[in-house]
Amino acid sequence: MSAALQHLVNQPYKHGFVTNIESDVAPKGLNEDVIRLISSKKNEPEWLLAFRLEAYQRWLDMTEPTWQNVKHPKIDFQAISYYSAPKPKKKLASMDEVDPELLRTFEKLGVPMHERAALAWVAVDVIFDSVSVATTYKEKLAEVGIIFCSISEAVQHHPELVKQYLGTVVPPGDNFYAALNSAVFTDGSFCYIPKGVKCPMDLSTYFRINTQESGQFERTLIIAEEGASVSYLEGCTAPQFDTNQLHAAVVELVALDNADIKYSTVQNWYAGDENGVGGIYNFVTKRGLAKGRNSRISWTQVETGSAITWKYPSCILRGENSVGEFYSVAVTNHHQQADTGTKMIHIGRNTRSTIVSKGISAGQSNSSYRGLVRIAPTATNARNYSQCDSMLIGSQCGAHTFPYIQVQNNSAQVEHEASTSKIGEDQLFYFAQRGIDAEEAVSMIINGFCKEVFQQLPLEFAVEATKLLSFKLEGSVG
Amino acid sequence: MSSVIKDDYLTQLIASWKAEAAASAMPAMSWLDQLRTSAAGRIEALRLPTTRDEEWRFTDITPLKSALFPRASVASSLTGSDIARYTLDDVPNRVVFVDGQFSAELSSIEHDSGVIAGNLSSLAREHTATVAHHLGRLADFQDDIFVALNTAFLHDGVGIIIPADVSAAAPIHVLFITSQPEQTTYPRCLVIAEPGARATLVEEYVALRDAAYLTNSVMEMHLARSAQVQHMRVQRESQQAFHIANNTTVIAPDACYRAVSLTLGAQISRYSQNIVLAGEHAECAIDGLTLIAGKQLADTHTFIDHAKPHGRSQQLHKCIADDSARGVFSGKIMVRPHAQLTDSRQMSRNLLLSDKARVDTKPQLEIFADDVKCAHGATIGQLDKEALFYLRSRGLSDAAARNLLTYAFGGEVINRIPVASLKQQLEKLVLVSTQVN
Repeated sequence: MSAALQHLVNQPYKHGFVTNIESDVAPKGLNEDVIRLISSKKNEPEWLLAFRLEAYQRWLDMTEPTWQNVKHPKIDFQAISYYSAPKPKKKLASMDEVDPELLRTFEKLGVPMHERAALAWVAVDVIFDSVSVATTYKEKLAEVGIIFCSISEAVQHHPELVKQYLGTVVPPGDNFYAALNSAVFTDGSFCYIPKGVKCPMDLSTYFRINTQESGQFERTLIIAEEGASVSYLEGCTAPQFDTNQLHAAVVELVALDNADIKYSTVQNWYAGDENGVGGIYNFVTKRGLAKGRNSRISWTQVETGSAITWKYPSCILRGENSVGEFYSVAVTNHHQQADTGTKMIHIGRNTRSTIVSKGISAGQSNSSYRGLVRIAPTATNARNYSQCDSMLIGSQCGAHTFPYIQVQNNSAQVEHEASTSKIGEDQLFYFAQRGIDAEEAVSMIINGFCKEVFQQLPLEFAVEATKLLSFKLEGSVG
Repeated sequence: MSSVIKDDYLTQLIASWKAEAAASAMPAMSWLDQLRTSAAGRIEALRLPTTRDEEWRFTDITPLKSALFPRASVASSLTGSDIARYTLDDVPNRVVFVDGQFSAELSSIEHDSGVIAGNLSSLAREHTATVAHHLGRLADFQDDIFVALNTAFLHDGVGIIIPADVSAAAPIHVLFITSQPEQTTYPRCLVIAEPGARATLVEEYVALRDAAYLTNSVMEMHLARSAQVQHMRVQRESQQAFHIANNTTVIAPDACYRAVSLTLGAQISRYSQNIVLAGEHAECAIDGLTLIAGKQLADTHTFIDHAKPHGRSQQLHKCIADDSARGVFSGKIMVRPHAQLTDSRQMSRNLLLSDKARVDTKPQLEIFADDVKCAHGATIGQLDKEALFYLRSRGLSDAAARNLLTYAFGGEVINRIPVASLKQQLEKLVLVSTQVN
């Protein structure tokens, strides 16, 4: 059985092509001049340059963390180009002026850049290497007061909002990669939902790394004012190179009173080949601040790509009755490594959090769940439920669980459960008995295993995630 | 600043080791001298852990570093009546150490029990090969400073050999008594269960006075094929004491190890238990209860290493923390590649009785084999409101209902103790310490 399915494991990565597009690339290396260059290219105000330089100084004093359960050769931060933009970059009046080469790229990826061609009722901000190239449905959203644009544009047109919130959830000195990002971030999405507005469509950012020697450092900032709500999607792909590219993003979410932010990610960066050569290092800091009363932040992620995934989308539950959620599926195959999980920091009274994490490891990969649930002394009646399930496929992979639970308030109820399992012979037999072949059976079992998480995804993403998963794991069971 | 204190602490210990080594060299047992010397070498290479070390993140031993207690030199001479309240009626076999010194008067071993038990230094003469083969070989002192210190200062300890196929009917009670303040003792215990042997062991730490002192203990246990050992561990040091203990147990094929550990005393205590399921079908069940109040900090670290297929392990750890006490639990279960058909379960349950009490728990799974069943869980909370309401509806006062539920929470672990007298003693103890008026 395993032989029959084995060939399917080596399905090529279908987003692995390179677009031949002329790019404006900054020289490799990182120093103050490069930061000034990025800042001047983006015509940034003085305070933002100061923010970057301060972060750079903090970064110089930091050393790379080593506690994570992943192995990789030391990254040479001077061998990375910190700015790469498709040429020419000029103000675009409409979608029709976008470089046709770019349009073809995104068409190939299935990302709708033409509003009229868009099937899904989704507004997209497309980020190609370091810069945002297009944002759809901008006017439509502006009618209800929603600001959805690239963060560079936000800096130009809404500097007061950016200044007020940038770095408040993830401070520049938060960690090594957040400091690096704060110093060199080039673009990202910015989204502001005004008071009482329910965003009429899903907002989405599509990230694409194209240049071989550039890193991608984007910064996303989402602010939901009182009573606002938004559902935000993020997708990522990259071409196939035999070198590793660094992706160190920062995402900050701020939810005020009664606001609701739902952030979904389907991450499918290039994962390297079956021997573990190449692939993206995905070292990301994502954090949401549930600042107001009754606010809610929900993270859903499906992590299938990247040579190394290392991220912990977190919620700081400061507002009374605020809610944090984390739903995750992390799939690793071949030599991929994933160390992912979440942090739920309960500060306010009656705060609640739910963690559902599903890890699937195949091949020689390793996947770890690492999570923190902290109940501060002020978090009276806080409640947490965590569930982490791992599935191992094959005998050369590893699954690890490292939950940290810190409780300083005796009225809190905290529960954590974890289990590890495999697809049993008896389960496959049961399917076979009903005329379902092994391959389909495995796909059904895995989809059942991940169902709780997929249910949280918006419809289009759920379909994509289900396909991605069966594609990714086809043939690895037998 | 802290590094100066740390260096000072170890430098002084190394100096005192050198002075002692010159005086106590035993030409007859050069293997032991070698062991001590190599452990002393590791002290020079290692440093004391700080909260920046992941394994010591929640346990700050700064108060210990600032108090360097000299090694206990002279043991108080105690009589049977001094220790009467610590002896167990139904346990005739007893090995007693007072302030780090073997007390032949207080110890008693029934010779017809078939068990060889006594102090290591005399045991090592008769059973040199067996002792030399295991002593210092199970507990790894390469990376653990406290095991290295214990091994470097090792001059005597408890030795227990249960010969092949001997089934020891009566339990063996190992009692470490501290009678003087401001001293350090290095209790050491070696237990060897030969193939098919069966025994029950009670390891206990007590203090005659409420004083500050340090106990740095190491226990090594080897279970040969099909051996069965039950191990009760009771730590009731003085409330001001420091207690750091390491236990390494290696379990051969088809052998079975059951342990119940109670942590009641010491201002800062740390118990690291390492269990290696080194043979197929090896089995272990380790349970623990930590009952702390005041400003106590109790840290339990366990590591269950499933190295071979068909291993089974079960663990239940409970912690009841009152006042501003702090409980720490870190339990790791490792399933090595090829250790297929492992079945492992771990549960950490914690009860916070006051709003200043704190618990940090970290159950961990590291799994490298696919055909295994592993599960762990953790809960932290307070007494169930509905259970309280139920008891109140039956006429119990609020205090009585709370006491009953708290006692029952701890009772689950106590009930697993197979030695009747010890169980009764501990039941009383837990009952008293869970009473709130």
